[in-house]
Amino acid sequence: MKNINNDMKDNKAKGRKVIGCFPLYPPLELFHSLGLVPVTLWGLKDSIPTTGKSDRHLQPYACSVARHLTEFLLSENGAALDGLFMYNACDTLRNLPEIINCGLADTGRSLPIFKIHLPMAPREQTESRAYLRARIKMLINELEEAYQVTFSIEKFRQSVSLYREMRKLCKALETLVANGRMSYNEFSRIIRDGWFVPAEDQLLALQKILQDRPLSKREHVPSAVQSRIVVSGILPPPLHMIQAFENAGLTFVGNDIASQNRALFYTPAMVDDPADYYVDFYNHHYPCTTLLYTADRRVAAIRELILSTRAQGVVFIGEKFCEFEYFEIPHLEKILKDMGVPTLFLEVSIDDNDYSEAYVTRIETFAELIGSANQGGRYAE
Amino acid sequence: MPNEDKLKAGHKKTEAGKRLSKMMINDYMRLHQKAGEGAFVVWIAIVVPAELFSGFENVVYGVPESHAAMSAGKGVGPLQCEKAERLGYSMDLCSYARIDLGTAFDGGKDSPTFGLPKPHLLISDNNNCSLLVKWFDVYHRTWDVPHFILDIPFCYEQQTARDLNYISSQYRDLIRTIETLSGQKFNIDRVREALEHTKGALTNWKRFLKTAASRPAGLTVFDSFVQMAPFLTSRGTKALAEHYRLLADETEENVAKGIFPVPNEKYRLLWDNIAPWHQLNKMSSRLAALNANLIAASYTYCMGSLEGEFDLYPYDGGDPLTYLARIQNFSICPHGLELRYQAMQRAIETLGIDGVIFASNRSCKVYSLMQMDMLKRVTERLGIPSVMIDVDHADIRKYSEESVFTRIEALLEVIDAKRGAQTPR
Repeated sequence: MKNINNDMKDNKAKGRKVIGCFPLYPPLELFHSLGLVPVTLWGLKDSIPTTGKSDRHLQPYACSVARHLTEFLLSENGAALDGLFMYNACDTLRNLPEIINCGLADTGRSLPIFKIHLPMAPREQTESRAYLRARIKMLINELEEAYQVTFSIEKFRQSVSLYREMRKLCKALETLVANGRMSYNEFSRIIRDGWFVPAEDQLLALQKILQDRPLSKREHVPSAVQSRIVVSGILPPPLHMIQAFENAGLTFVGNDIASQNRALFYTPAMVDDPADYYVDFYNHHYPCTTLLYTADRRVAAIRELILSTRAQGVVFIGEKFCEFEYFEIPHLEKILKDMGVPTLFLEVSIDDNDYSEAYVTRIETFAELIGSANQGGRYAE
Repeated sequence: MPNEDKLKAGHKKTEAGKRLSKMMINDYMRLHQKAGEGAFVVWIAIVVPAELFSGFENVVYGVPESHAAMSAGKGVGPLQCEKAERLGYSMDLCSYARIDLGTAFDGGKDSPTFGLPKPHLLISDNNNCSLLVKWFDVYHRTWDVPHFILDIPFCYEQQTARDLNYISSQYRDLIRTIETLSGQKFNIDRVREALEHTKGALTNWKRFLKTAASRPAGLTVFDSFVQMAPFLTSRGTKALAEHYRLLADETEENVAKGIFPVPNEKYRLLWDNIAPWHQLNKMSSRLAALNANLIAASYTYCMGSLEGEFDLYPYDGGDPLTYLARIQNFSICPHGLELRYQAMQRAIETLGIDGVIFASNRSCKVYSLMQMDMLKRVTERLGIPSVMIDVDHADIRKYSEESVFTRIEALLEVIDAKRGAQTPR
């Protein structure tokens, strides 16, 4: 596993201005076009194994995403950041900026924090485009002032192209995984490593991987691999858990993971105004439990994902204390049951590494269930 | 008089307390009755401006959070929670939500009010707590009932004009939605009238809370917790304004007569978080026995105030939607740490608070996840001893009375020690 702390130090050593972005879906292209290196602070657990500093500011019932994020920012590694960006992704994250400021103040540090409110009302109910446009324009002004840079539409276009290509290649890797040519473990690691390096570096890394393992045209249709599953959640399962799935003969043919497919799914067409671009980006974003206005599209998206990948089972990875996810799971489980698709729910908490063996039996049983269904053909769409 | 007798005298049920019970029964009976007669029923989050519904001829509203609090207070919280848990809803979810889901999906069985009549429209908002949007989405999906989401920006600083305009435009969308769904016409003058009642109610609410400034205090925070209930179910009514007038009158009269809920009050405490609904009687009795009085709570002093403030922000007779938008963030949860601290500092200084109890509430992360830094700030900047206890506002299974009181007693010792250090030898 690549150490993100080294990436952060490398960015700093090269004189790059790095803006840390709270998960989930920040305006990466915008930051990039202004000469900043945006890093999305997902999945810090592997690099920040303890939460001692965070525990002085957050109760243990905050999710591990928030606790590791806070720990990272308060640690020495967080000093490599030149700013932070966040929006109202959830109740926990919206409370964090001031908590982080308190923690930084204790260590004599401070960071500029840029905040926007992302409208969460359904678009057919409330006209919020003008509001979002104004917030994006204000953000651009704030960034220009803070970093003494000037927004350029040309550079923005280049950044959009770069991220579009990067997302496209990430999707190509997903296809490799679905066809059994790449493990989901490797895929998750590659995607995760990409969050902490400049987009150009990530693009080069992706291109190299795909040169070594090129996709053929026929790979874009679902392959005939058996025991096909889709995984859903905020973060992918921990690597040792993925290993347990793959050891049990299950193939991840698709994902509804916030840090993967939900984040990578959509890049808008280029327009002449970055505010319009982000109105489109957020309006048409892949449905996510945290984007409250996408709720009505979520069931359809999951159904489509299952049908298009011919998945035979769905695994929900519950990030402990993530209410947004937990409110939806019972409903989704019921719908999937009605579709004849078996589900498995596994909860991941901050100390799950200590209890990984407990999951193995459940994963193996789930694999057997799907395997027996294959033989009987019960779960054909 | 022996201490026990004094306590009994102080805790005698007040006239306002008796009236409150009748008022709540009437509110729920009227809700069921009107729904049965064909009224348009909405379910709302507690901070949705209910005065808007006065603008319609026949729109009634239920408040699931308030119903859940009442259920917890009446001791059926765990029973309803377990029903939701059996349906797959995690025990880590908010206990209000679990109580409500358990009640609703069991047809109101075991509820002190027979649940709430089924809604024609759900109205949530994401400033007080955004998970409530997900909670209402469960009904939206299960029952195919429309769900209107008020999208309200969080306040790291006081509300901006841009946000105010955005909020009031959503009220207009909401009004149009109700008009379309209910077939009723909206009349803004009725809302204006309702806001005058709200102004009267909140003026008297603040007068009631001000009796905490007397020594001993004229109230306990437990009185204010229970007396909040009709603000949620009767907002904008003449009956509420009258009830709060009588409540303030009676409390002020008691102070004048020397009748106090904790006559030997030695410790004046402030509570930060939602009320522990399942512990009101027990906690108030045990605190009173220690001569400790919780005299204020951020949960109750925010009603009628702007972000970061302590005093009333009254309706000025102007555009109702503008006023409602400006006061939309009156509860604590939409406020950032700086604003919460400002208001708490005012409360501490105005009421002569000796110590603060930060109730870390597993069921309300949005209220709780700033408390560790708030505690530090209150202790270091204001020199006020503080303690953090673990509670769940409605699920008694997540509460340990003994460990809570061990911490509270430690707080009282710190207050004593501080006083000892300040007393000249």
